[in-house]
Amino acid sequence: MLRVTKASVESLMILMEEDENMRKLVSLLLLVAMLGTLPVLPAVAEGAQEPLTVTVFVGEARDQPTSDNKIFKKIEEEFGLKFEFEFLAGDLNETLGVKIAGQDYADLMDGGNYAEKLIEAGALIDLMPYISQEKTPNIYAYIEPYLGRLLNDAGQLFIIPNYGRYYNTEEYGMNYVNGPAFFLQKKVLAWAGYPMIKTLDEYFDLIERYVAANPTNDKGAKNEGFAILCDDWRAFCLFNPVQHLMGRPNDGDVIVDIDNNYKTEAYVIQDYAKPYYKKLNEMYHKGLISQDTFVMNYDQYIAKLSSGTVVGMFDQAWDFNNATDALKAAEMFDSTYQGLPIVYSAEQAGKEITEHYLNGTVINVNRGFGISVNCQHPERMVQFMEKMLDDEWQKIIWWGVEGEDYSMENGRFVRTYDQIQNAANAVWRNANSAYVLTNSMPKKQGEMDDGNKWDPLVQPECYYLMMNDYDKDFLTHYNMKRPLDFFNDPIKLAPYGEAWQIDSTVNQDANDAKLAFQDLERKMLPQIIMCEESEFDAKWDAFVTAVKDIPITDFVDFMQEQILNLVAKNTAK
Amino acid sequence: MRTAKATVGSPTAVTREYRRTPFGRKLWHQRQLALMSVPMLLYILLFNYSPLWGWITAFMNYKPSVPLFENEWVGFQNFVWLFGKPEFLRAIRNTFAMAAINLVFGFVFPIALALLLNEIRSLRFKRTVQTVTYLPHFLSWVIVVGIAQTIFAGDGAINRMILALGLAEKPVFFLGEGKYFWWLVGGINLWKECGWNTIIYLAAMASIDPALYEAAEMDGAGRFRKMFHITLPGIKSTFMVLLIMNIGYLMEAGFEIQYLMGQNVVMDWSQTIDIFALKYGINKGQYSRAIAAGIFKSLVSITLMLSANFIAKRMGEDTLL
Repeated sequence: MLRVTKASVESLMILMEEDENMRKLVSLLLLVAMLGTLPVLPAVAEGAQEPLTVTVFVGEARDQPTSDNKIFKKIEEEFGLKFEFEFLAGDLNETLGVKIAGQDYADLMDGGNYAEKLIEAGALIDLMPYISQEKTPNIYAYIEPYLGRLLNDAGQLFIIPNYGRYYNTEEYGMNYVNGPAFFLQKKVLAWAGYPMIKTLDEYFDLIERYVAANPTNDKGAKNEGFAILCDDWRAFCLFNPVQHLMGRPNDGDVIVDIDNNYKTEAYVIQDYAKPYYKKLNEMYHKGLISQDTFVMNYDQYIAKLSSGTVVGMFDQAWDFNNATDALKAAEMFDSTYQGLPIVYSAEQAGKEITEHYLNGTVINVNRGFGISVNCQHPERMVQFMEKMLDDEWQKIIWWGVEGEDYSMENGRFVRTYDQIQNAANAVWRNANSAYVLTNSMPKKQGEMDDGNKWDPLVQPECYYLMMNDYDKDFLTHYNMKRPLDFFNDPIKLAPYGEAWQIDSTVNQDANDAKLAFQDLERKMLPQIIMCEESEFDAKWDAFVTAVKDIPITDFVDFMQEQILNLVAKNTAK
Repeated sequence: MRTAKATVGSPTAVTREYRRTPFGRKLWHQRQLALMSVPMLLYILLFNYSPLWGWITAFMNYKPSVPLFENEWVGFQNFVWLFGKPEFLRAIRNTFAMAAINLVFGFVFPIALALLLNEIRSLRFKRTVQTVTYLPHFLSWVIVVGIAQTIFAGDGAINRMILALGLAEKPVFFLGEGKYFWWLVGGINLWKECGWNTIIYLAAMASIDPALYEAAEMDGAGRFRKMFHITLPGIKSTFMVLLIMNIGYLMEAGFEIQYLMGQNVVMDWSQTIDIFALKYGINKGQYSRAIAAGIFKSLVSITLMLSANFIAKRMGEDTLL
């Protein structure tokens, strides 16, 4: 083919030299020939727009999707959009700080847990001008019930939440524990004869007995009683437990008394926080908490959990998914974790506590994509998100392609065991899922109109198929169907939502106080846990004084005000 | 072509005029060298001097989204904030302490090692030792710190040794107690850079005239006498130049190692000025505060270097400037 072309060009060249007129003709012919050799453009689907490459920043470390990823191909065919990803490498807070300093924003920015920084720095545009019932019916329906919580005081919206909008159901919609809990290896509960563990004392007592009887695991590695992750923002594992022990769901750094006019306080410095750290101090001196736990980073933590030597810890399940996957991959099913709703005894708390670990459905305020000021096509981006909220696209996002990734049986969405395994496989996802993009986009959760669940993990058929035999057997001993049955039903969400979502960066003093507070917690709480028992009270008092001297009221008063505002906004409606 | 050649061969009136001044004549003689240094000069101007103009933001409440001169001027408020912050004062202390440890370790051990290596007769052995000791220089800090964290962990090699020898009853918390932190940093730095730093001293020693050693031998000097009276004085000027340069770097206690090793528990001992600027400035979006901290650091560095230079001049030594 090539040779023929070359030969014909050569003969044309000879002709060209002979005649001036011929030359013009030949040039024309050559031009036509060149146009013919241009790569054939992909067949343009109906409604497609001119091709556009969109740059995307995602504040999490992920893999690049493969170039022939089947879902991204579909998106390109329908919307003419190509995506260029930048994933997080290193520390998110720093990366954003540097990006802000250089005004170096991708078109779509997912600032993860520090998204407020982007808003504060003016990196994102207000989306409300692009959203209306007529122009974007899907998005409007998506945010409408939560407008009171989503819009700021100026009526602006910078990020359409990526999770937490439940359709057709008020139900929590999970079968598994994804949030906070005191976790314990399943084999420990099995060893003890499947008891119900409810209080802090019972929990640590079991850990103590288990480690005494089993100093090493079945591979001969030393067992560690209780791990505490203290790395960066994940240090919530160190200070969040107190509010849950007091029977409240996750409100971040404060605890809110909903029965007492939403009175807000910083719980770590209250008297009821002391028994928890006293207990940890005791456990430390018994050798059940290793000193290394206070200096390990997140990767080391995951590595430790994955090795199956950590008996228990407080955490949120999504925070150690990687370790759970690793344990399953190594078929160490008995070393995976069961979350337990541990609370204080009446004596420790000063009152009777009912556990309330689970909140009702929560809209994920300020988490997901914002459109940056550098984006040239904001209208098109919003329209893209709008179209992706169509049921047809939502099915692709959640379930994939029918016949390949799932099938329909009697009106139900089902997956085979292999399809379920695929969906959990990171390498498979690189080529067959647009997860890296859609994870940050608004999504429907809850139920479809026909009663199927949007999230395959929540679809009962898939969930039971996915559970391994060990887990099924484990739950049978408890006479339960789901790991979630260990918990009380979710409480209806308070009108202010979850207080951790409240953005304190808008108030410099409150923000300075909050960061100073967290620094003190990270620095002094480990020292308190490790100190001699005789020094405990003095160290505790020093900590409380230091926090009060910040002054912490700068932060707490701000939170109190915001919570009352939100309550007023959301109950008036 | 021909005209160009003529210009080089017979300078125009202007250059001839220029060449009359002593500086001009000197420059003309060294014109090739001068030309070669132009790229470096441009590089320094572009990357080291022109960014200095950003220092003005230290006197503003700077927000990147606002055009530069529409930011609010706040005078010395950011500096006042810095010096009112105990964390910053601690960061200054930590920076100086760790830099001083590095400075002392960085001179004593490499010179000692260089002296020892210099006395070795077997060339092969000398080369091997040299290579082995300078290889860690090429490891990245992430790896070095990872190794150190494993070795010094509660169940790491060092603690196992201590427990086995009965030197302590329970593992020493090297990574989590402030009092160990500076020395750990000093030690790890030493391990990584000692071999590398000997190279320059070995080179200086190689340039000492062998006739001096021969003469000393004739006078009956032994090995140690030769070391003290010939080798050490022979590298004195190298030593002085390096000392002055390193004093200029006294505020650079390093960044990566403290950043990677300094966990929350030891933050009172591990935070250097750079980490402080990163944490309280860049991470919190307070760029002006970060720049104020940087300015302070630069000014102290310049002062230190100039005074070291001055003192060296007074002592009649070779100086840098």
